[in-house]
Amino acid sequence: MRAEVLSCLLASATITGSAAVTPDLDHDFQQVVRPFIVKYCSGCHSGKSAAAQLDLKAYTDLNSVARDYPRWALVSQRLSAREMPPKPLPPPPANDAGRVIAWIQAVRAEQIRRFDGDPGVVPARRLSNAEYNYTIRDLTGYDMQITREFPLDPANPAGFDNSGESLTMSPALLNKYLQAAREIANHLVFLPDNIDFAPHPMLAESDRDKWAIQRIVNFYLRQPVKYADYFRAAWRYKYRAALGKPRATLAAIASEANVSPKYLETVWRVLNERGAIGPVLKLETMWRNLPGPASKQRQTLDAKCLEMQEFVMRIRAHTAMQFAAPKVKGLPPASQPLLNWKNREFASHRRESDPQALRNDTDPPPVLPEIPKYARLHQEAAPRWAALMARARAGDPDLVVPAAERKRYEAAFARFASVFPDRFYVSERGRYFPDDSEDPARLLSAGYHNVMGYFRDDTPLMELILDENGKREIDRLWNEFDYVASFTARTWTQFYFNQSGEVQGKGAESGTPRPRDHEITDSEVIVAMRDAYLAKAAADPANDPVAPRAIREHFDGINATLQALEKQRKEAEPKQLDALLRFAARAYRRPLTAAEREDLLSFYTTLRTRNQLSHEDAMRETVVSILMSPDFLYRMDLQSTSSPEPAAVRPVSMKSSAAFASRPLSGYELASRLSYFLWSSMPDDELMQRAAAGDLVKRDVLLAETRRMLEDPRVRGLAAEFSGNWLGFRQFENINTVDRERFPSFTNDLREAMFQEPVRFIEDAVSNNRSVLDLLYGNYTFVNPILARHYGIPGIEGGAEKWVRVDNANRYGRGGLLPMAVFMTQNSPGLRTSPVKRGNWVVTRLLGEVIPPPPPTVPELPADESKSELPVRDMLARHRENAMCAACHSRIDSFGLPFEGYGPVGNIRTKDLAGRPVDTVVIYPGGETLDGLAGLQTFIREHRQKQFVANISRKLLAYALNRSLQLSDEPLVERMEARAAANGYRFNSLIESIVTSPQFLTRRISDAQPEPESHLRRAKL
Amino acid sequence: MKRSSTNSISRRAVLRGAGCTVALPWLESLARADAPPSSGFPKRFGVVFLGNGINEDHWSAEGQGGAMKLSKTLSPLEPLKQKINVIDGLYVKALTGQGIHPGQTGSLLSGAHITKGAVVHSGVSVDQMIANHIGDETPQSSIVLACEQPMTGYHETNFSMVYSSHISWQSPDSPVPVEVYPSFAWDSLFDNRGSLLNISILDRVKDRAQELTRRISSTDKSRLDEFLTSVREVERRVDRMRESKAAADDAAKAKNTAAAFMERPANGLPEDLRDHARLMCDIIAIAFQTDKTRVASLIISRDLSAMYYPFLDVKEGHHAASHNNASDGYERIARFHVSQFAYLASKLDGMKEGGGTVLDNTCLMFLSNMWIGRKHDNSRLPLVLAGGLGGAIETGRTLNYLNDGEDNRKMCSLYLSLMDRFGLKVEQFGDSRTRLERL
Repeated sequence: MRAEVLSCLLASATITGSAAVTPDLDHDFQQVVRPFIVKYCSGCHSGKSAAAQLDLKAYTDLNSVARDYPRWALVSQRLSAREMPPKPLPPPPANDAGRVIAWIQAVRAEQIRRFDGDPGVVPARRLSNAEYNYTIRDLTGYDMQITREFPLDPANPAGFDNSGESLTMSPALLNKYLQAAREIANHLVFLPDNIDFAPHPMLAESDRDKWAIQRIVNFYLRQPVKYADYFRAAWRYKYRAALGKPRATLAAIASEANVSPKYLETVWRVLNERGAIGPVLKLETMWRNLPGPASKQRQTLDAKCLEMQEFVMRIRAHTAMQFAAPKVKGLPPASQPLLNWKNREFASHRRESDPQALRNDTDPPPVLPEIPKYARLHQEAAPRWAALMARARAGDPDLVVPAAERKRYEAAFARFASVFPDRFYVSERGRYFPDDSEDPARLLSAGYHNVMGYFRDDTPLMELILDENGKREIDRLWNEFDYVASFTARTWTQFYFNQSGEVQGKGAESGTPRPRDHEITDSEVIVAMRDAYLAKAAADPANDPVAPRAIREHFDGINATLQALEKQRKEAEPKQLDALLRFAARAYRRPLTAAEREDLLSFYTTLRTRNQLSHEDAMRETVVSILMSPDFLYRMDLQSTSSPEPAAVRPVSMKSSAAFASRPLSGYELASRLSYFLWSSMPDDELMQRAAAGDLVKRDVLLAETRRMLEDPRVRGLAAEFSGNWLGFRQFENINTVDRERFPSFTNDLREAMFQEPVRFIEDAVSNNRSVLDLLYGNYTFVNPILARHYGIPGIEGGAEKWVRVDNANRYGRGGLLPMAVFMTQNSPGLRTSPVKRGNWVVTRLLGEVIPPPPPTVPELPADESKSELPVRDMLARHRENAMCAACHSRIDSFGLPFEGYGPVGNIRTKDLAGRPVDTVVIYPGGETLDGLAGLQTFIREHRQKQFVANISRKLLAYALNRSLQLSDEPLVERMEARAAANGYRFNSLIESIVTSPQFLTRRISDAQPEPESHLRRAKL
Repeated sequence: MKRSSTNSISRRAVLRGAGCTVALPWLESLARADAPPSSGFPKRFGVVFLGNGINEDHWSAEGQGGAMKLSKTLSPLEPLKQKINVIDGLYVKALTGQGIHPGQTGSLLSGAHITKGAVVHSGVSVDQMIANHIGDETPQSSIVLACEQPMTGYHETNFSMVYSSHISWQSPDSPVPVEVYPSFAWDSLFDNRGSLLNISILDRVKDRAQELTRRISSTDKSRLDEFLTSVREVERRVDRMRESKAAADDAAKAKNTAAAFMERPANGLPEDLRDHARLMCDIIAIAFQTDKTRVASLIISRDLSAMYYPFLDVKEGHHAASHNNASDGYERIARFHVSQFAYLASKLDGMKEGGGTVLDNTCLMFLSNMWIGRKHDNSRLPLVLAGGLGGAIETGRTLNYLNDGEDNRKMCSLYLSLMDRFGLKVEQFGDSRTRLERL
């Protein structure tokens, strides 16, 4: 299968040049090229101060030329254009120059022929900082941006910081890795059958509580518990035929409406009950009177459903059962065992109606009770609550029932309550719940005083709404809460030391001394405390007879929970170790060998035995060791693993005559290569599954995966890292050249927005497979409200995270990459614009021209344009009068001057800082005169577009391959260009050309690694 | 080499503090382990906390130097008169007028506004600010100890009891977990646990790299060599650090200089608070002397303390006793705390360092979260500083700011002054932008 893939790839490769004349290149270099150089070039181009830093004398043989071919291509170009040697030096005879040019071209052809499809030498490379961040994000689920304090990664000659050439290691960096690994390990969460990560460290108890509580509260908030939604869904079912879905089932409608199918059925039944009375009848009547689909009042449906909901909630609020803590002489009502009983009573009676809530129509009007003061510390809150309730009930006419039919009505209210609980769940409580104070919520709180405590109250949700999966999930979340945060044990301990003194008559805020022979959490201690409370309950015959039960349930519950958790902890260890091994495999981006599994486990065991670490500490240390392992930190291709894919190491020569040996990447290697190319991050599960199944190397699977990945949000990794490097703005977030006194609008938020604009633009282009030419001519861009303000684009409101696409951006002088503020700002030296820097950026970064560096003696332009006598434009014109300068500046300046309408922070302007009108009319090479941004776009479209496409192809390829390009990549670049042109310049066409290329799919077999020069030498024909 | 001062919290701070986890040294610090500090002796900072205030009838100090008159509660400090400053009248405005106890405690060392309800939010405390700043220079950036277990429920004011149980905050969202077990605190400091763990990690990584070397190409080998060299270099630094520390400890022992030596405390919690507090003080003293850390905080009793004092013949628990301002029992409890503070200060003063003592290079702070318990009055706080901080603080004084006006009696101004003296320049801290006058 693999062979088939390869042959198909090879078929698509055009091999050129081999038929051409291949002279004895080395011989010719000595006999023809060098003498020419000595005679015509090295007068300027040699030695330490060589012109344009090009020392042509340094090239002593063919190989030195081949290695540095791009500069020789430039030599060839300049000779062909007769630009060199410059006037007034005498030109060389055309024939001599022609032979040199032909020789340079022959070198290229020969290199290509010998190394076509060469994956090149790509050494093992550590993750770049960006890759490290993204990988940690995908490994842990949280974007910790942990490399913020790491040293900056250098870039390779191709300008990318993801290359094997540039990513080196140092002790300082290793140290940072160690710190980062420890920090990440502190986020570990230990679950009964797994390990996970939290968005924050999980060492402090309050952090563990926070994490676990949030998960439960979020679960509750996700549940469909709004009655109105069910009434609306029932309505849709009732009118399914009229609504065009005659066959829809109740369940189908429930799923469409995002409500519980189980509960919708319950609600449907009660709404259509026959012979109803009381609240059921009233609700039914409201239901029957809902407007039909054809009714003119249809738009009132939502409001009517809300009215129904309000009716249900009012009735249920007024008929809710009420409870007080059992009275025990000498114990405050807020005593934990008693208060907890009250909590349990509430929780277990939410689907019942209080018969005392109803009044007979023959009764005299009720007497309104006084409302007692808010309960003080340790007092019972129930009397106040009861008085409030009595007043509320008194005002509710729906609670008045015919005296003669009292029983029937009570049954109707009970039926109503069984379907409509007073609450589905309680996610927050105040002190001594129920609590009518306005205090901010205590999530999941039991309502204790001072001592922590949590209470689960969600029976109606479990019974009415949740399906089996939902029930299991919420059970699991509550169990994990206790497992992670040990709240039962901590509550018990805090109670013991701070409140249990009450049972000895020492007062409600006193504890019991530490037991001598036991841990606080030992059964004996809990049982002894229970018995002390039981004795208290038995001490006075006037005590509530339910008190002993309340006390038993409370303490026995604690005891049972603690024992169950302890058992669970023991059972969890092997499961967590399994999870640790799975984590390691994900971190290493490949399956572990048996030896590697063994090795990790033995490391863990040593930590427990020799270093005496607890299970959790030893697990954390092992995670640190995984994150410090070269398997994680480095992207490297192993030559021989005892492992899963023996076939992967089979050498496959691409071509019998090839000057190098290579082999196809294994599935896992390919998965990593793809994911680091397209996401700057590790492969996801699906990619790993493909790798494991062995079919990732199939062309159709590979392409399908590539497309899937390009549509994934993680493709922002490519957008940010590729374009940030290519276009040179990856450090823009640290730029400090802007004078903020003069440009107060340049805030950190604006700077961040400027940085984001090209990333968003390119992300959009990649994930929507747009034309790469949109980068140049796209009449749209992306802004957030901050950038919109800077650009003068009206009507964009919201926070910094709100990014929107702006069409017809030309109205605002924007559209495409060229006028983006980030580039305008970055290429301005502060208090003036720099047409040179801006032009140079366009010519070199976007169009890929090679411009030699300026000579060291170049005159400085004034720093502040408001203080200079001439506009920048005129100073540059003067500069170009010097022929030495003109050679380059005539190629640069016309690409920067069109931007004079943009100020030093990319702001639109008509006058420069000195108040002089700006002039954006430009004479281009070749004499064409065009104005501003539109003119520049026109010029590029007509004269430079091909260069742009070739350049982005090259850059993308170098980025994908993690290395600088070599001559043998040229045919691939040409294929990319051709394929792009044939496919509307779609991004995918470039990316697909890359991922299906032999360069991408294979790697060198190093031991057969050729020294390129030795092969060239043998290439004499 | 030193990182410039920061107002924001170092992300690394999350690892700091004794806490219940393994404490690990930052290797950056190890790079400097073999070089002595550039000038003078290290400066240390320690806080000792007493919850629930003092008996105001017996808390006062007058006069300067040897002539200083100390009241009954302060009497344990009598031998240290020349080395302390008794300060009256400072307070934390953010902790007033929002309810008693946790609302009076949650940002005692930061002056931040704290939030009620489900979300715990305070500010980075002054000790952790200093630890973040100088913590890189010692194996452990700080130790955060307590003799009383934290309580983490809700007070009736709806502030979390987390605020009552912690004084050291490593980030606004998280207090530093307190270590209540003397044995664990000792292990983290003196067992070289951190270094040993780093070495075991590095060893493992080294083995792994060597094993990989056999399976990769020659080009890749050079890359892994580079990795290995880095691992070895870092390992060498850890080792050197351990050795130099061990040598220093031995030398101190040999010279019989108030030996930097302490038996490992027994596992478990001491039953008697007197033993517990003393062990914690010993650990801090020796950690300071041997430069294991330069920042410590110790809660002897937390706010709303439920501790009992049978050995002081007080029948009620601490909190209940505090509701009787004028009671002798309440006074005895406060005096017990002061005596622990005096014990720690004396211990440091017995440790020679150059021409002076470790105390002379330290600033110890004793404070409570309120003035008197009955009224829960925190419009002034009981406060004593001990130690000259390497000559940076003049001692032997009583300083009274009570009548200097609100702006001139902020605890946060004191914190700014202290941070200054640790070379940490912060423009604003809590509610203050000015330094404390006369300090």
